[in-house]
Amino acid sequence: MPETAVTSLPGTNKPLSATPKPFAPEDEVALREALKRCSPSTFEAAVQFRKTGNAEHVPAVVIGIIERFVEPDLRMKLKDADDDLRLIEDLGVDSLTMMEIVILVEDVLMMTINNDELRNLRTVGDVKTFIDCKIRGLPLPKPTKFIPIEHIGAVMPMQPPFLFLNEASVSSTSANGKYKISGQEYFLQGHFKDNPVMPASIMLEALGQLAVLYLLEGVPTEPGKVVSPQTIFFTGCEGVRAHRVCRPGDILTLSIKPKRMKMPLATFEGSIRVGPEKAVIAEEITLTYAFVDAVISPVPISGVAQSDVINGAQAAPAPTPLRAAINA
Amino acid sequence: MSRVFITGLGFVSCIGNDAITVTCNLRELRHGFELFPPFQRDDIPCKVAGPVRDFFTDSPDPEDWTFPARYKIKRELLRSMAPNGLYAHCAMLQAIDDAHLTEPDISNADTGLYAASGGSLFLTHYFRERFLKVGVMRCSPMGIVQSIVGTLNFNLVAAFKILGASCGFSSACASSAHAIGYAFDDIALGRQKRMFVIGAEDGNFDAIMPFAGMRTLSLQTDPNIASRPFDAARDGFVGTGGATVLVLENEEEIVRRGVKPYAEILGWGQASDGYNVAISHPEGSGSAASMNNALRASRVAPGDVDYVNAHATSTLIGDVSEARALRAVFKQSAERPAVSSTKALTGHGLSLAGAMESAFCALALREGFIPGNAHLTRVDPECGGLNIPRTTENRAANIVIKNSSGFGGANVALVFRRV
Repeated sequence: MPETAVTSLPGTNKPLSATPKPFAPEDEVALREALKRCSPSTFEAAVQFRKTGNAEHVPAVVIGIIERFVEPDLRMKLKDADDDLRLIEDLGVDSLTMMEIVILVEDVLMMTINNDELRNLRTVGDVKTFIDCKIRGLPLPKPTKFIPIEHIGAVMPMQPPFLFLNEASVSSTSANGKYKISGQEYFLQGHFKDNPVMPASIMLEALGQLAVLYLLEGVPTEPGKVVSPQTIFFTGCEGVRAHRVCRPGDILTLSIKPKRMKMPLATFEGSIRVGPEKAVIAEEITLTYAFVDAVISPVPISGVAQSDVINGAQAAPAPTPLRAAINA
Repeated sequence: MSRVFITGLGFVSCIGNDAITVTCNLRELRHGFELFPPFQRDDIPCKVAGPVRDFFTDSPDPEDWTFPARYKIKRELLRSMAPNGLYAHCAMLQAIDDAHLTEPDISNADTGLYAASGGSLFLTHYFRERFLKVGVMRCSPMGIVQSIVGTLNFNLVAAFKILGASCGFSSACASSAHAIGYAFDDIALGRQKRMFVIGAEDGNFDAIMPFAGMRTLSLQTDPNIASRPFDAARDGFVGTGGATVLVLENEEEIVRRGVKPYAEILGWGQASDGYNVAISHPEGSGSAASMNNALRASRVAPGDVDYVNAHATSTLIGDVSEARALRAVFKQSAERPAVSSTKALTGHGLSLAGAMESAFCALALREGFIPGNAHLTRVDPECGGLNIPRTTENRAANIVIKNSSGFGGANVALVFRRV
């Protein structure tokens, strides 16, 4: 490969070049022109990135470019956005605007983004992580996976009536889930007498279950290894606070993010909301886990099939209680 | 057969960006020409053009453009427009306002849109440059919809949420006259109740200069005499751009909405020369046939025509060809209808011409005047035997013909009547 290669090879994810071309004054002029409708801080971040190659500047550039293409009245959302802000639903970015964003990002950060890589970018967080991985030459994160109830039941060690997730999505950086308190939960008969309230301990359990799902579905593994459901156990938690009483009919919106991953311990932060209201915060939930050898099998077609193979014993039709959970 | 009326107009032109200004300049025969700055180079012999005022579209990036503040256009819409798309969008807003149309009147299955522009050679050339410079994958995703010939209808149909018939017309300088003709048919046959018809052109360096090689542009350096159709000293046409929008509606709709139309469209006709790719038939056979077809379809006798708004672009061959066609159609009564070419004031708007000049006819019919043929000193003897008034006549015409001819020898004639 020639040393002067400026761009990455099409279809590969190699860094641009080991020794980037020095940032010349004419490059700065071109950069200023390309970013003329972005904020000054976006331009500054782009200059810093081009001069130093330091990936720390990338999020500011990417957010600045997205902001430039979003209608002015929607830009406020981006100001105090978290990474879950969705490009299409929340920011009104259509696929043509997405192409405009991509072309400007490519131009400014001197990279190439392929069509198939674009499809998985749903949130601001997805875009930031994706570009960061491209710049650093890391493997691209797995796209956010939406996991239906059938699949949750198939992969989780917990089963109804002790499974508190109706749906979930898992990416390499977080997991989100929902659980509707149906009122049929057996423990509500005694918690409390004539006054059904979701136990805080069970809400912490629900967050723990989402963290288990993250370990099984989201955590990057070594080739040939998978996380074994039999090895995951609770070890501790810190800073757990309940802010709101939750009752039948409430829909719990759960989210967890990994804070530290160091075998055999994985520490998460977690929160539960009901609509806009804070219900439970857990500063730390720590689980243990371990890898086992993956079962060698033909390459499956779908994600569901894959899990069925890994958890061969659980591939049977869902037991009756699970169906109840589906309907919850 | 439903009757068809013109109920709304919108203009972005070198003689005005609203109907009042345009009417005033038409009546007073004030032209819109100037020494066009992009042409003032030693290697360009053509100096004069009729550019639109108050719109600045020199940049290939629509977000750089400036235009009158009364038009608010979102980036989402602007990003896919060529300059002619911007002009048309603004003219469309005027026409909607002029016809007193509400949103439900515009977006429904019975309302369609026909448009004509030559696309944007300016942007086509720019995108090709980008192709070569930055590679195909970094060209604007809007490149195609912004520059090809259908750009007008793509943009307007999406922006105004048109649900009825829509398409573009491409017969060069007859394009928007064809669009009016087919829009008339759709309403007359009951397929649509209302049609928007749009003609537009960029009218910039890239749109006009390709005609230099054909030697069809006037080389006059005095804007006051550069465009003089039917004059013995004419030496070619003057280029212009802009947009015109006409709202066409059936009788039921104008009664329901209680609006007063500008004029009625009685019918139209078309015919082809079958002669040359770019040169008009020397005897004007196609043009004469199109007028005869239009008069027959409209059940109007040649002797009843009061005014002909000629296609005459001020080129040597074209004006003679049309004069012969007029003499052939009107025969003994050839001196009866007043004949004038308003291109003496605007220059030649190419795909825009048919729509713009039909709208001029609508204004003249409503306001009760016949625009004169400006800048005419000595009539070319080849164009003799016609009644070509040099000044505006303050009398109301009853029946008006609008002629349009395009490359390939495509000819269209439209017949309007005072209401």
